[in-house]
Amino acid sequence: MSNIATQKKHKTVLKEEQRDCLQEISNVAMGQAGDHLARLLDSFVVLSIPHVAILSPSEIAMAVQTIDDNNVSGVCQGFIGGGIAGEAMLLFNDTSFVDLAKLMNFEEELSEAAERELLIDATNILVGALLRGIAEQLDIEFSFGPPAILGQHQELDKLLVSESVRWNHALVIEVNYQIEGYNVQCDLLMVITENSLPRLFKKLDYLLD
Amino acid sequence: MFATNNDMMNDFRWIMDVVQNVDVGLVLLDRDYNILLWNSFMQNHSALSAEDVIGSNLFESFPEIDDKWFHRKAESVYLLKNSAFTTWEQRPYLFRFENYRPITSKAEFMYQNSTFIPIQSLNGETSNICLIIYDVTEQAVNNVELEAANKKLEVISKTDGLTGLLNRKSWEEHLNKEYERQKRYNEDCTLIIFDIDHFKKVNDNYGHPAGDEVIRQTARIVNQCIRKTDIAGRYGGEEYVILLPHTNVDSAKVLAERIRKKIEALPAQYEDQSISYTVSLGLCGYHPKLTSATAWIDSADQALYQSKEGGRNQYNIFQPPA
Repeated sequence: MSNIATQKKHKTVLKEEQRDCLQEISNVAMGQAGDHLARLLDSFVVLSIPHVAILSPSEIAMAVQTIDDNNVSGVCQGFIGGGIAGEAMLLFNDTSFVDLAKLMNFEEELSEAAERELLIDATNILVGALLRGIAEQLDIEFSFGPPAILGQHQELDKLLVSESVRWNHALVIEVNYQIEGYNVQCDLLMVITENSLPRLFKKLDYLLD
Repeated sequence: MFATNNDMMNDFRWIMDVVQNVDVGLVLLDRDYNILLWNSFMQNHSALSAEDVIGSNLFESFPEIDDKWFHRKAESVYLLKNSAFTTWEQRPYLFRFENYRPITSKAEFMYQNSTFIPIQSLNGETSNICLIIYDVTEQAVNNVELEAANKKLEVISKTDGLTGLLNRKSWEEHLNKEYERQKRYNEDCTLIIFDIDHFKKVNDNYGHPAGDEVIRQTARIVNQCIRKTDIAGRYGGEEYVILLPHTNVDSAKVLAERIRKKIEALPAQYEDQSISYTVSLGLCGYHPKLTSATAWIDSADQALYQSKEGGRNQYNIFQPPA
């Protein structure tokens, strides 16, 4: 008994069927998101199979190490609702701002401020589309904070390795977006806080029954 | 939700009171961007009453809003049923409201964060958009001031107070970087070091304030003579250094001679005294035998020593060993 208790304290365990359930929920949400995005952006969105795992801060840092690269921009957006909270992180790899602007119907001149706005708008749309689908299936509603660009005020590697990180593990759902005909590629990491997990698991178990 | 009609009216009153008095701006728009709700915050800051704007088109009443941009933002809200955001860092404001606090606020206008929220009608369609306008002037002003202060501090920490040239520490950073670059690419790059001849006598004869003026005058002449790409610094008391990237010794010679002649020809003026002075210079072009950035300075310094030995008011070039 005590063994399980200590284990629980140090590492949150994701049961196989819970993982499958989350994967299925994400799959469905992505299907919906792809459909919405295709209509909004008027182009076909290719989405990868979502990857679900429990990760520590340093493991997440490792997964997103590429952000130090100049060609990668990262944007974070917080979400909370129904006792489940977290942050979605979108990493734009090898994304051409010119293509992103075309995609988003952005016709003004591409100043640095305009590029930031594009990143924020694109993040808001891509994250919102996916999270909406997930929330619907879990029968909750998320409210969102404004997206914040990483590296502008905070360096990501410092955020994740610093001693101020007060959590040990988080649930991470990773999805890859690719937009056909455009040089726009991004990874979306949904990082769900440790504190939210009991409630999320309860929801999943309810869906599984 | 409501037990009786009376309760409903009461609840509605309370909700409207909250909407009216909450300290953020609330604006409700219909599908054609006509204004349906305009709460007290908006009325007070815009000096337009609800009667003035309700029913009018947003873009006609507020031409400062870029309608193309706004449409793009709002359409994604309608289609995805998803909130959209804009912060003061992207756009300082959505509605231009003049600063209303003459004493405690330095901003010219209200900085705003705004959220676009989809509002669903009874049939589930997103029929309206609600705008929430947050006053973030204080945060924005603090942020802008902090950034400006940091920039200023950075400049101060890099420059020499008397001359405005780079100080020794920050100039040496440039030198180290240039040395590393040269080691890899071995292009032309020349280092000039020079100092003021008999500077101690200037101080002794005319006083330290006059000496300071000589130091400043020398820096001014250096700034007039060098090109934008050259990096000049004050190395010590009366010692100056100039790094000339993409410049061979022959071209650097021309610059050294120009500086020398100009200083000789232009006496420093302090109060009603005219102080004539000269400088001695040493040059050293980068060559692969240099083992460090310090060795580069040492070599230029040796050439400077030769100029002193040779009678001052002249330049010499360090000859690298064959």
